[in-house]
Amino acid sequence: MTKPVCPVADTIERLSQIIAGGRLEPARCRQRAEEILKLMEDVSSGRGGPEHIPAMALLASALEEEGPDDACRKTGAMLTSVLAEHHEVFKSHLDTQICPVTDCARLIPSPCQMACPAGIDVPSYVTLIGQGRDAEAIALIRKDNPFPWVCGLICTNPCEFMCVRGRIDKPVSIKYLKGFAAERAMSDGLYKNPEKAPSKNQKVCIIGAGPAGMSAAFFLALKGYGVTVLDALPVAGGMMMVGIPRYRLPREVIDREVSMIEELGVEFRLNTRLGKDVQFEGLQAEGFGAFLIAIGAHDSHKLGIKGEGEYPQVVDAVSYLRRVSLGDRRKPGQRVAVLGGGNVAIDAARTSLRLGCQEVTIIYRRSRSDMPANEEEVEQAEEERVCFSFLTVPVEIVGENGKVTALRCVRTELGPEDQSGRRRPVPIEGSDFEFRVDAVISSIGQRVDPKGLESLEHMAWTRRNTIKTNSISMETTVPGVFAAGDAVVGPATVVEAIGGGKRAADAIDRYLSGIPQPKMRTVPVRRNRLDFIEVPASTKMTLQRPQMPMLNDERRRVTFQQVELGFTENAVREEARRCLRCDVCIRCGACVDICRNKMGVDALQFGYLNFDHREPTDFRVTAERCILCGACAANCPTEAISMADVGEERILNLCGTVLNRLKVERCQVCGKVVGPERYHDYITRRMKGITPKSQKGVLCLDCARETSARRHAEMAPPKLTV
Amino acid sequence: MSFRRGDRVEVYRKSQDEHWQAHMDRFVGLHGIVTDPDTVKNDPEALIEVTLDGAGTHRFPQDCLRSLKDS
Repeated sequence: MTKPVCPVADTIERLSQIIAGGRLEPARCRQRAEEILKLMEDVSSGRGGPEHIPAMALLASALEEEGPDDACRKTGAMLTSVLAEHHEVFKSHLDTQICPVTDCARLIPSPCQMACPAGIDVPSYVTLIGQGRDAEAIALIRKDNPFPWVCGLICTNPCEFMCVRGRIDKPVSIKYLKGFAAERAMSDGLYKNPEKAPSKNQKVCIIGAGPAGMSAAFFLALKGYGVTVLDALPVAGGMMMVGIPRYRLPREVIDREVSMIEELGVEFRLNTRLGKDVQFEGLQAEGFGAFLIAIGAHDSHKLGIKGEGEYPQVVDAVSYLRRVSLGDRRKPGQRVAVLGGGNVAIDAARTSLRLGCQEVTIIYRRSRSDMPANEEEVEQAEEERVCFSFLTVPVEIVGENGKVTALRCVRTELGPEDQSGRRRPVPIEGSDFEFRVDAVISSIGQRVDPKGLESLEHMAWTRRNTIKTNSISMETTVPGVFAAGDAVVGPATVVEAIGGGKRAADAIDRYLSGIPQPKMRTVPVRRNRLDFIEVPASTKMTLQRPQMPMLNDERRRVTFQQVELGFTENAVREEARRCLRCDVCIRCGACVDICRNKMGVDALQFGYLNFDHREPTDFRVTAERCILCGACAANCPTEAISMADVGEERILNLCGTVLNRLKVERCQVCGKVVGPERYHDYITRRMKGITPKSQKGVLCLDCARETSARRHAEMAPPKLTV
Repeated sequence: MSFRRGDRVEVYRKSQDEHWQAHMDRFVGLHGIVTDPDTVKNDPEALIEVTLDGAGTHRFPQDCLRSLKDS
């Protein structure tokens, strides 16, 4: 598959060749082409503004119309055509400061920002947190995500999986830094909403007050729309509120962030179910111009075993977690079996312990290593003394007098691999046994509950029972109706829902403004290009990702107190210093190449440059070998590496990491700085045999030339032959 | 093939699944990391979240992914 080409970078290349090739002979024409090239380089390097595109178009048109020769006219026509055809791309470069196909070096996004489904500018907020500017960091995050505090506690952090620091040791603890900054900003009263745009006098109705719906509400309200959010539940928050237990995400955190959205004028109609309390036609009659369906996936799959529907003590995990979240703290029983091996099963089991159940056992048909739940969730459940029964399949729920008394199970062993590539559990004949329980919680998957959407009869559904949408514009098959979140992709993550809500808000804005929908996913926006935090190479290498302090096991078993206690301020500031600032260093390897292959010094041991082929990294090696020639800095396309003389030292710096610092020498004649001794030694070795070593010690270029000139004056110049 | 969180994968072909849309064609050949697999029952039919190197985070049907464990 051929890599897409950035029209900005491609045009710069073509125009440079035309100019360098001398094809534009008339001076006026050449000057215009050079001016266009300069403007285009501004666009490509993040220095452009909104006036750049019309200025380029004007110059191109003058080239095309005024010539005076064919080459000038053709060049003008080519540029006019490129600017018209790729107007959106040029504009996107200016608006987002990002080149999505990564041809414009200074506009290449960091892997963490690209990984974030909400597109948050991670390196910028990590740097702000490192500088102690927590409220500014939160304001920056909220340009892309209205729930920094929630995400700082429960995000699945895809950013950390792509964190380049993880190729050296462990990824930067991005999630917890965000959580710390949000809590601090909220506590200091500095967690503020941005300014709203003037009212557009148009209304949008959002069905579902979960992360997708409320994110869309936030961005639409900021754009000036009147937004109403309906939800069947008595509280806003959706699955964040009724699916994630309080010991992971305290209710107050959600409440505070929801209230910030409410402050923007968003109206919440809770306890309002579409199809029951309100009808779609009625909402249309209220004058809503567009609708967003973000109802989540709150229904459960059935176990399909005997006895499932016969006892009130058999519940599904989603309903169970919902009722506990809404305040019903009665324990389901004394001895509880939770069926399933996923994250929701773990949540249900840990919640049951906290409600006072004597014994909670997770029953899973495969082995521990096959459990689909996240490893850390399983470990935390084990720490809290949740029991596990692996290689066990429930076959019947047994009871008497309307009460569950046992779960009949069979033991299994792992047989040949199935379709999923895992060894299939095969029942062992004669291994049936009764497991004494008085409550059963099933957790074998969630699905979208389509009740209430029947009136949207033209809305297409997928075979997974989710709403069919265009994944770029979030449009459904009904004009003016959009969908986002779990209702579209099935049970997914909070940050994905936030990203989907944000895309839907953009698409609804375009729909109501009569602007065509995009053909490609929206590009994240580079919000800043902050100064680096200076860190010595040894510190950069030795700083360790901190361990999260946890509530003690005993208290975890009996209360819903938050289990993760949060980092200390010192740990947060130190952790932020581990960031490699991949928004600036694009890992092109030009520095390593010139140092190793051209200079023959090989002082840059940056093994993290390649995603697929990683080698050891040690920033400390540079100080041992580097001669401070500056070739790396001179060839860095993004100024990630810089070399500067500070006082009596020359310092080499990579995105704030001080790689090398050496004392400079001064010219023995005029006192000018001439570089470190190690550099002189290198030059002397390279010049050995070509020119004799100066007997006058260290001289700057000017003084050396003067000395040579005096000597040359005494000699007759050689005869030139023509 | 069952995918786990943190597995390195390649989008090695277009999927025939209805979830695959035309703009996703450009992802073929890219490498990434599984960031949110099916955490309920490892259903091979489930859409799983993959973060692609330089190309964002997306949900993919599993038939277009292959593991890079052995590479």
